[in-house]
Amino acid sequence: MHMEQIDDPKIAFAFLRPSCVLLTQEPTVSNVKALRENLHSVSDGALQQLQDYVLFPLRFVLKTPGSKREGLIQGVMEAMAYVLENTCIRSWESLRDLFSELCLSICSPTDPGQPAPVSEELKTAVLRCLDALLHSAYGDIIFQLYEPTMLPGLGAAISLLLALAEHERARGVQEAALKCLLSLLLQCDCPKEHVAVGQDQRYVLGDAFASFLPGITRALSHVISGDVRQGHAVTVKAMRMWSRTVGLVMEDDQLQTKRAKPKVASELGRIGELIVHRTSSWSKATAKRLNLVLQKIISCTSAHRHWRVRLELVNLSDQLLTKCNNSLGECIGPLMEALVGAVNDEDLTVRERCSLVLKEIAQRNQTTGGQAFIDVLSENLHTLASSLPRLMRTTDDQRKLFLLNVFLGYLKILGPQVEVVLSSAAHLQRISRGLMQVLELDVMDVRIVEERSAVTHVDLRPELYNTRSQRKHFLYFTDDRIFSVLGKICRTLGYYGNLYLLVDHFMDLYKESSVYRKQSALVLNDIIAGATGTGVEVFTDRHSGINQEDLMSVIQSIIEEYISVNNWQLSTVTDESNSEPKDKLNQSHVLPVCNNLERDKLQLVLEAKCTTVHQLNSNIWQICIQLEGIGTFALVLGSDFRSVLMTTLYPVLEKAGDDSLLVSQSALCTLNDLCQACAYSSPKELIIANSDYLLNDVSLNLGRPSVHPHAPRVLAVMFSHSDASLLPLVIDVVQDVLVALDLSYDQRAPLFCAVLHTLLKAMVQWFPTHNGQKKLPAGVSVEPQTNFSVKQFLVDYCRQKELAEGIGADEEDPNDSDIPPSPSCREENIDGPDMKPELPSHVTIAKDIMERCIHFLSDPSLRIRLKVLDMLELCVCVLSEKQDELLPMVHRCWSALLQRLINDDPLVIPRAFRVLCTLGKTCGDFLRKRVSKEVLPKLTASLAKQARISAKAGPTYAHTVAFKVQLAVLEGLGPLCVWLDLVDSDLDSVLEACLLYLSCRQPAKLQDASLSVFQNLMEVDPDACWFALNELYCPASFEPPHPDLQPVELCGQGQPRNEYTDNVLKLLSFISGESPSI
Amino acid sequence: MSLPPPDPQYILRGSGAQINTLHFRCDNEGPPLLFSGSGNGAVHVWNLNTRRPEKVLEGHSSSSIIWVSTLNSRETLISQGRDMRVCVWDLGEGRGDVTEAFVTGSVGFCQCSLLETSPGRWLLAYPGEQMEEVRVAEFPSLIPVCSLKPDSKAGMLMSVKIWQKDSGGCPEIVAGYEDGSVVLWDVTQRRPVSCLKVYSEPVMCLDFDSGRLKGASGSSEKVISSWTIDEKQNLQMHDSVELVNPGISQLRVRDDGKILASAGWDNNLRVFAWKKKLRPLAVLKHHTDMVLSVGFSDHHDPRQRLLAAGSKDQRISLWSIYNQS
Repeated sequence: MHMEQIDDPKIAFAFLRPSCVLLTQEPTVSNVKALRENLHSVSDGALQQLQDYVLFPLRFVLKTPGSKREGLIQGVMEAMAYVLENTCIRSWESLRDLFSELCLSICSPTDPGQPAPVSEELKTAVLRCLDALLHSAYGDIIFQLYEPTMLPGLGAAISLLLALAEHERARGVQEAALKCLLSLLLQCDCPKEHVAVGQDQRYVLGDAFASFLPGITRALSHVISGDVRQGHAVTVKAMRMWSRTVGLVMEDDQLQTKRAKPKVASELGRIGELIVHRTSSWSKATAKRLNLVLQKIISCTSAHRHWRVRLELVNLSDQLLTKCNNSLGECIGPLMEALVGAVNDEDLTVRERCSLVLKEIAQRNQTTGGQAFIDVLSENLHTLASSLPRLMRTTDDQRKLFLLNVFLGYLKILGPQVEVVLSSAAHLQRISRGLMQVLELDVMDVRIVEERSAVTHVDLRPELYNTRSQRKHFLYFTDDRIFSVLGKICRTLGYYGNLYLLVDHFMDLYKESSVYRKQSALVLNDIIAGATGTGVEVFTDRHSGINQEDLMSVIQSIIEEYISVNNWQLSTVTDESNSEPKDKLNQSHVLPVCNNLERDKLQLVLEAKCTTVHQLNSNIWQICIQLEGIGTFALVLGSDFRSVLMTTLYPVLEKAGDDSLLVSQSALCTLNDLCQACAYSSPKELIIANSDYLLNDVSLNLGRPSVHPHAPRVLAVMFSHSDASLLPLVIDVVQDVLVALDLSYDQRAPLFCAVLHTLLKAMVQWFPTHNGQKKLPAGVSVEPQTNFSVKQFLVDYCRQKELAEGIGADEEDPNDSDIPPSPSCREENIDGPDMKPELPSHVTIAKDIMERCIHFLSDPSLRIRLKVLDMLELCVCVLSEKQDELLPMVHRCWSALLQRLINDDPLVIPRAFRVLCTLGKTCGDFLRKRVSKEVLPKLTASLAKQARISAKAGPTYAHTVAFKVQLAVLEGLGPLCVWLDLVDSDLDSVLEACLLYLSCRQPAKLQDASLSVFQNLMEVDPDACWFALNELYCPASFEPPHPDLQPVELCGQGQPRNEYTDNVLKLLSFISGESPSI
Repeated sequence: MSLPPPDPQYILRGSGAQINTLHFRCDNEGPPLLFSGSGNGAVHVWNLNTRRPEKVLEGHSSSSIIWVSTLNSRETLISQGRDMRVCVWDLGEGRGDVTEAFVTGSVGFCQCSLLETSPGRWLLAYPGEQMEEVRVAEFPSLIPVCSLKPDSKAGMLMSVKIWQKDSGGCPEIVAGYEDGSVVLWDVTQRRPVSCLKVYSEPVMCLDFDSGRLKGASGSSEKVISSWTIDEKQNLQMHDSVELVNPGISQLRVRDDGKILASAGWDNNLRVFAWKKKLRPLAVLKHHTDMVLSVGFSDHHDPRQRLLAAGSKDQRISLWSIYNQS
């Protein structure tokens, strides 16, 4: 950047000499400028050799008495700064003289500690020069600057610089002054090379600055707390200077080391008075004063707008805590608070720096075990904890967040010492009270109570419940970050604290009062998570991790408490009995006019209700929190939790079917956690693998329905999610269910029926029947007739008629034996001649259930009758392969079923009819006689009767029960006739009844159903159908194939188009499609 | 005293057949175990921590197992089946093999009885080929020691217990017979010492408390009787208690001699005070069929000493009762 520089000192000398001489002779601005420009042409090495020579004219200008123009001095300063920046000062005299000359050049002539009223530019130039001087001084001479003899001069310089920093308006000057101060302290932070300061030299520096400490700290604190508009750079520099000075003077190392007393003061005369001996009493007094100043600094910088200032505060705290841990004992508290408060600073750099510092402190603290430090911390913690309950009530969220962060910070720094702190009952008491206070849930929300789990069937697909969706609402804060910090606090407590102590304490709170129960559970959950290090960010590791066995026993004891009857079997929904008055209440509420008395009453009732709603809300949350806890514990224990499943899975599953949406969702989330912890791929697998544990609880609880009303529900969930391998275990419990049903059929029948229904549904799936579709009875095989001849037809007809009569005689054996012997069906005996072959267990179960169905078919409750009919149908399906077992059972339940078919509520009839159809399908002709005698006449009669009504009915008729009965019967009748192999008169009566529904006046659905009946019947007896249809309406006339034969005459012939025409034509074309020519 | 009887602590399911015999093994070598022998010839080894079968052993060709026990460790099992065989099993390191077997020749239901005479040496009393015969053999050498047959017509051997005074001394046997009598045998002298006619029906079961020199027996009758051995080695009736329903399958005195448990044909388990007089304490209802077997845990922690009952309904119920001292 410059032209070729002159390396040779001789040439350089020759080169510079003229301008030097000129300057000495005529000190003008232009001459200085000329010299300065020439300097640039000389290399650093040459300049070093010519240093004194070059500096001489410059200094000469300064020393010349008389007023000088500022521009000249500024020029001199710039030139001098150039020299100093590029060379080194090797002689002490030069340093000393230059130092004082520079200071003198801007100080007030009357007071060397105050600046002269000169221009900013000059001040800046001088300061720059001074800075350059301090940087250029050799290490072996610079320390002489701090010797006691130099104290006055040094003091004046420092005062001057401080005055500049404090009172100068111009930011640049302030900064330059502060930079000089830092350089003077040999703690300059610029990128240039600096003198290395050894241990002894630090002492020298420390001694020197001790004398100026009060002034420095006072002035700088003014700067720091000065106008915000001064810019952050000034504040930052001032803070740095402050912390470096204090850090140097109050350094523990220096204060603790006993050194030989420096030179006796008398030798130094008055200067001796300036010397400060850093005795312990001195340091104590100083620390006290510093503490005050420090607090002022912290208070005005901890919330400074500029992040660099906050960062500097962190550095300051770090500096002092590192170096002056002992000497500034009193300051540790405020310093820590400042640090910890910055842990969650909004600026990332500050946060990172802060946590790094805290981490270092925590680690240092652990290694040295500084008791004083710990005492201070635990004192701080205690103070904070004591005020926590009050603060949590009174302050706003922002402040709470800050306080809790500070609290967390203390815990982190205390690290393993937390255990010691917590062992003080007073501490623990306060901390826990604070937590209980702040974690109080808001249970006013009515929606929580009203949200019901609509699904009757629990869906266990894992992906559905990955996150706990519902937010908790707290009484004393709304900010989610607060909850998250609280969680961290609890986890940190758990991580460092004595687990037994903490768990005992919070379990006591949990048991003590329902007021604290939810909060304690929240805390306990996090403590356990923290104990294993889950979700804990810490600075130091604890001394020893918790061992798995202890953890297991602690967790088991907590779970035991959680799932004990009093804490688990809480009502989460208003009872049925309560809901009725509620409706009434709402109605009266709507009434616009009600007298005062009534209103008061209403108010009272409402209040009573409100409390219960809140109670329910609270119950719901308690269960949810406990469920969350179980999930957490599982994740913490991992696969070791498998053994805890023995006691835990049942309660969780029970809650999965809870009426409250929130509880049920929460339980499903917990199930997911359990799967994850115990390495099951899905809740389904979890249930199947642990069905033995579940069944154990189910069977025990079935016996105590008043305490455990949900056992059937759990069983139902199990049935719907397992496979046939469960059956051996299930049989046992099914027996229990049946026994329980027998014992308490009046109260719990609906529940038990629901369970058995689920079981039957499951069994139908587990054991698919192969001949579920019973093949059509032999008689109805429809063979395609292509070459049709009348003769052949008649021959066949005769033969078939004879054949049919023969078989018919056999079939219509009046001996209506209960068990039709069918020796071919009997399986081979394995166990000996006199033992019946053992039935497959599902058959046994189905039989047992069917037995109960017989009783319940005539239950007074409509709901139960409907349910039982469904069950009966499934039983029949399961038993369909074992006719030996099925038929006797069908025989036994027939009369009860018959009553349902003909004498029951119209709601029941369709269902009963469906059962009858299923029976017809599986039992076939076993039922023919009964149906034709006992059922068909009534059914067809009622169909015929209803046909008249439905023909006239309007469109709303389709919504009536009567319509549904008609439809169900018509839809089922066709297949039933086929399965039962009905003939002749029965068929006729069916045809007769159904013909009415071919009318186009009937509702379309009934017409369709009736059409389907005919289509079915055509398979059984196409001729009868054809005949019946033609009687109604005959579109064609028939020519006899032979003149000897009588002409065919049908009632429908020649009739005009009527209401039946359309459907009859449809059916006839269907028949002719089947048998094209007649 | 009017507390309702407790529910079982746990039910072990899945044996698939009636449970004839139970044996606890709760040493410190591993999880507490319960061995059960069932009607289909399987021996289940239940881990009482996980409450699941660890192993199922089949070695009696599907004949009913009537008795199981362990020898010096949990790894040596001995089982007696209705196939007239007694098998010794090696269960170490996950094995499950029959290492030794011998034929007793007995077609009856009488269970064997085992006595450790010195460390590593046992005497096994087992029913012999002749129906009234008790045989004693040394174990594990299987050297026959003696064969004891009553002179009188006592009928079939129903139940046997070999024991030794707590202070040591020679092994003795109490045996119950078909005619309802209980006979005390001196094994070394091979002769009956005393005979006591307790029932008119066969003795179905008995147990003997060698500390108190007192035994209890049950039959198909309604009465549980206890009897003592006096200084002259004579069996003396001591006490009796009448039940509501007849039929006792098994009786067990707990190791500490405080309570006696009975397995009843009426599906109930009963607990009696044993120390002095026979006093009914509790009726434990759970099973839905005859209770066939009952046993007490030998857990070192008295609070974890369970009572187990095996029933014809294929379940084993575990009860935590009278163990909180």
